[in-house]
Amino acid sequence: MAIAYARPLPVPDPDSQPFWDGCKEHELRAQRCSACGSFRWPPQAFCPECYSWDFAWERLPETGSVYTFTVVHYVTVPSFQDEAPYAVAHITMDGTDERVRIVSNVIGVPWEKVHVGMRVRVRFEDVTPEMTLPKFEPTEQG
Amino acid sequence: MTEQAIKDKTAIAGIGWTAFTRNSGVTTLSLAAEASLKAIADAGLTPKEIDGVVSYFHKRPETQDVKDLVRGLGLDNCNFQFFSDGGGGWNCGAVLSAAMLVHAGICKNVLVFKALNRYSAGRGARAARANDVVGVDQFTTPFGQSHAAVSFGPYATAHMARYGTTTLDFAHLAVTERQHALLNTKAMMRPKGPITIEDHQNSRWIVYPFRLLDCCQESDGAVALVVTSTEHARDLKHAPVTIMSGVGGPARHTHYDDTNAARSAPLLYEGAGITPRDVSLAEIYDPFTFMCMTHIEDFGLVKKGEIGPWIREGHNRLDGDLPVNTHGGLLSEAHIHGLNHFIEAVQQLRPEGVIDDLCDGPHTYDRGVCRQVRNPEIALVCGECGDSAMLLRRG
Repeated sequence: MAIAYARPLPVPDPDSQPFWDGCKEHELRAQRCSACGSFRWPPQAFCPECYSWDFAWERLPETGSVYTFTVVHYVTVPSFQDEAPYAVAHITMDGTDERVRIVSNVIGVPWEKVHVGMRVRVRFEDVTPEMTLPKFEPTEQG
Repeated sequence: MTEQAIKDKTAIAGIGWTAFTRNSGVTTLSLAAEASLKAIADAGLTPKEIDGVVSYFHKRPETQDVKDLVRGLGLDNCNFQFFSDGGGGWNCGAVLSAAMLVHAGICKNVLVFKALNRYSAGRGARAARANDVVGVDQFTTPFGQSHAAVSFGPYATAHMARYGTTTLDFAHLAVTERQHALLNTKAMMRPKGPITIEDHQNSRWIVYPFRLLDCCQESDGAVALVVTSTEHARDLKHAPVTIMSGVGGPARHTHYDDTNAARSAPLLYEGAGITPRDVSLAEIYDPFTFMCMTHIEDFGLVKKGEIGPWIREGHNRLDGDLPVNTHGGLLSEAHIHGLNHFIEAVQQLRPEGVIDDLCDGPHTYDRGVCRQVRNPEIALVCGECGDSAMLLRRG
């Protein structure tokens, strides 16, 4: 029998639902302003640059770079205990003019190897039937 | 940009505080009332003369709110109350709000307080809502960002990669702040004694790049202060500590190369008609060692990228070029959400100086007993990321 996923799950809202829907389809998406062309993050209904309410969801490349990061050793939420130490990184997604910077985990590599500038690729984790989380692992070049 | 219209028009006339502990055993209402009554008495006022009350909280009001303190103290003449969600960034915003209320003529004597049982009650409350993930938290909490060190560690990692700053630099700041706390009878870490660089480097990782001794403690306790017009303050019990200028707005945290302080610093200094060189001492928000360090840089007190060597050389000590966190800071005094930084700044700027160091009689400047800085004129106080900041002057 599968063990129920015990960690906190995102609570999608009208602004974020298309992003989480994309994750479920193993596709990373972000909004791009139809008026000025700026990407934005996190999702919201209007452009923080030009205040246009017109936008389109665009599929992003699967790769990006670690902009900065931390590594959690001391866990305050018990459901993460078996994961520690784990890296929480801010990942600048390719092709977004550095405007889409996603917070996620860098997995599949010892925490000591995570570094600023590390090249990473998304790996989707289907954590429940309804929710998929985008995690990241090093590309071959690291 | 010219000087702020509020410059020197208002002053801090009274200060008060409770014991800082890990288990107060009393309600936040009791803590707030104790600190507030002490601050009001210190100003030479009576509670009925308080006609405005301000406090603040972070995300959830797990702290004494304003309305219940107004009720509890029977402040029948409260013309204005304000309880902001500005969090640790808003210590100076609270005091600036009080100053604005006085300068605008809406209130005469405004009480600013912060009272919390953050150690004894806050931890359980936060654990209980660990899975409550709405708003922008939906993009962080599911990935295990559930600790302030994870929110602010990215600033440190980015600085380390860019400027070669190391955790050994952090160690020197932790050691100096502990040294200051040893001269402060109310500092929670005073009974623990001094720490060494080795102690820091051997302490366990909490959230890389922060070790245990990079992280501030959590505390139960309260502090309070009274803001009035400078003119009125001159007739009260203590010499006024005047408010030169202030800022109190948040920023969007979209990059980690510097904090909001880099944006707000010019407004602050120009508003007061001074430059960073005029600052005598600084009480800087320090939830983690590096956050104190980046704030020092971002407020123009040290060139960007050079904070590591500056701290190692000890310029932040009591007899250094710019004494920083002379009470021990959040790291070694207590975490009263940064409002305790005002208690220290006011004490340092009063003619009689600090009253809770180990000096018996006049200040000796013997760093075995005395934490009074020599003749300070101007103090900088700031909150998290410089979201709010203030310049104070000896009255």
